[in-house]
Amino acid sequence: MYIVIVIALVIGLLCSSLIVAAFFYRIEYQKKFRYDQLDNNLNSGINILLAGNDTSYSSGRTISLFNNGADSVTLKRIFWGMYDIGTSVTFIQKDTLYKTFSIAYNIDSTKWAALYLIDEERPVSLSGKTAIIGDVYIPKAGITTAYVDNKAYQGDKRLVIGKKYNSNKTLPLLSENRLAQFQQLTNANHSGDSLLNHIDSLKQSFLLPAKYFSFKKKIQTLSNIKLSGNVILVSDTVINIDSTASLNNIIVYAKGIHIKSGFHGNVQLFAKDSISVDSNCRFNYPSCLGLLRFDKPGIVAVQEKIHLGNRSTLSGIIFTYEKNESILKPMIDLGKGVKVIGQVYSQGGLRTKDSLEIDGSVFTSQFLYQNSVTLFQNYLINITMNSKALSSYYLTGDLMPVAGKKKKVLQWLEAK
Amino acid sequence: MAGSKVNIKAKAKASTILEVLIAMVLIVVVFSTAMMIFANVTHSSLSVKKIRAQAVLHEVLLNAEKNRDTVSQSFNIDDFRIEQEIKSYNNVSQLFDIHLTAYDNNQQKITDLEKVILISHE
Repeated sequence: MYIVIVIALVIGLLCSSLIVAAFFYRIEYQKKFRYDQLDNNLNSGINILLAGNDTSYSSGRTISLFNNGADSVTLKRIFWGMYDIGTSVTFIQKDTLYKTFSIAYNIDSTKWAALYLIDEERPVSLSGKTAIIGDVYIPKAGITTAYVDNKAYQGDKRLVIGKKYNSNKTLPLLSENRLAQFQQLTNANHSGDSLLNHIDSLKQSFLLPAKYFSFKKKIQTLSNIKLSGNVILVSDTVINIDSTASLNNIIVYAKGIHIKSGFHGNVQLFAKDSISVDSNCRFNYPSCLGLLRFDKPGIVAVQEKIHLGNRSTLSGIIFTYEKNESILKPMIDLGKGVKVIGQVYSQGGLRTKDSLEIDGSVFTSQFLYQNSVTLFQNYLINITMNSKALSSYYLTGDLMPVAGKKKKVLQWLEAK
Repeated sequence: MAGSKVNIKAKAKASTILEVLIAMVLIVVVFSTAMMIFANVTHSSLSVKKIRAQAVLHEVLLNAEKNRDTVSQSFNIDDFRIEQEIKSYNNVSQLFDIHLTAYDNNQQKITDLEKVILISHE
């Protein structure tokens, strides 16, 4: 009698376990199917952001992709310095997938050059171990060799390994649209915390509103701190950044920025007056140092300047821009052994020192080189400019005149 | 056993005809209910065919994106007929709405898939 009950229980147990297994298999497969659909919707959203310039996404917008249910996507594209940040969020029932990414532009090969030096009716002179690899836009006066500091030109006999074109009297212009967005950043009266003292680590998602820190007129030093993501630091005076600060993808805008020796990170720095980087600093791609001046120069002219200390490396963009030209044009000063992988765009001058390497392009109004006694104008001495050394995957911001029309994902920032 | 006497007066244990009938009716009811549930489950459950069709559609989608394919067409892969419909998405030049539908041999729809793809001819 009992054996019958036991057998019945065992059979019942087996049957129910089979049913439960089938049930979970079905649930999991439906989940996988849902996630496949979510993945398609998510990538559809990313493609929509990459294809258009629709400004209605700047504050976030939820759309139905195909108007047939289970296809809602929330899209957002925000200004993030040289680049844009896109966010795509899609959901079905309680399942959500999202991706945040930075958007950049491919290089327009028809405008790309290792060197663009405006025509001031003065030739370019090469001396020492200088190498120019890639197409160049130079003054009509041409390119020649020179004897400087007891050294003759020791480079390739062709002088330029690439095609030579005549440059214009002005540099190709920066994008007005992007400059207008920068102007909004610089003019806005940002409200936010004025203290960073109580924070030692902050990671703000790009899905959330930007976290502003506004230091007003108080000089701020960042040290022993980790800041990452959707964080913007603003100051009406100077911000000092110590080598112990870890900055990742954030934006800093101040009147003056000073980076102390040994710093390394990934950051976009914009200043009104000066950016000074000490020696042995490393800025990872995509970083940016930019001088932006939209207001008229004061009675006492101050020269805006970006200085990159000896043996520092920057992967990204260095540029200067002033809306109203002053007597003292903005200057980019690159120290000895500096390496730039990307682009240098100087509306004013570019002061160079020995062993400078630029893997990418230089657009400038003039070159300056100073030894102990003489200041040389448009002399390239011990410089390597190699546009072909830049990765074919390099992407630029649409501010730059060489930006193409095709937008691509520069970096995946967050994903689920 | 051989040679033992059979007591024909003893009563053998058995069920009445009513009990047997009730048991049979119960068995039939339970069995038919179980079969209905089983049929229902098998009808709505995942078929290998559907899973395969989805995999095929994913591959077709990847190829369409890779080959920058913007032509609506119908073709056969394995045992499936795939209908590929591509149209412009919101009149944005580089965006296309691709809708793939898989049909079996009986021309019954198995599954479909839709995505906005980016095709630039730069």
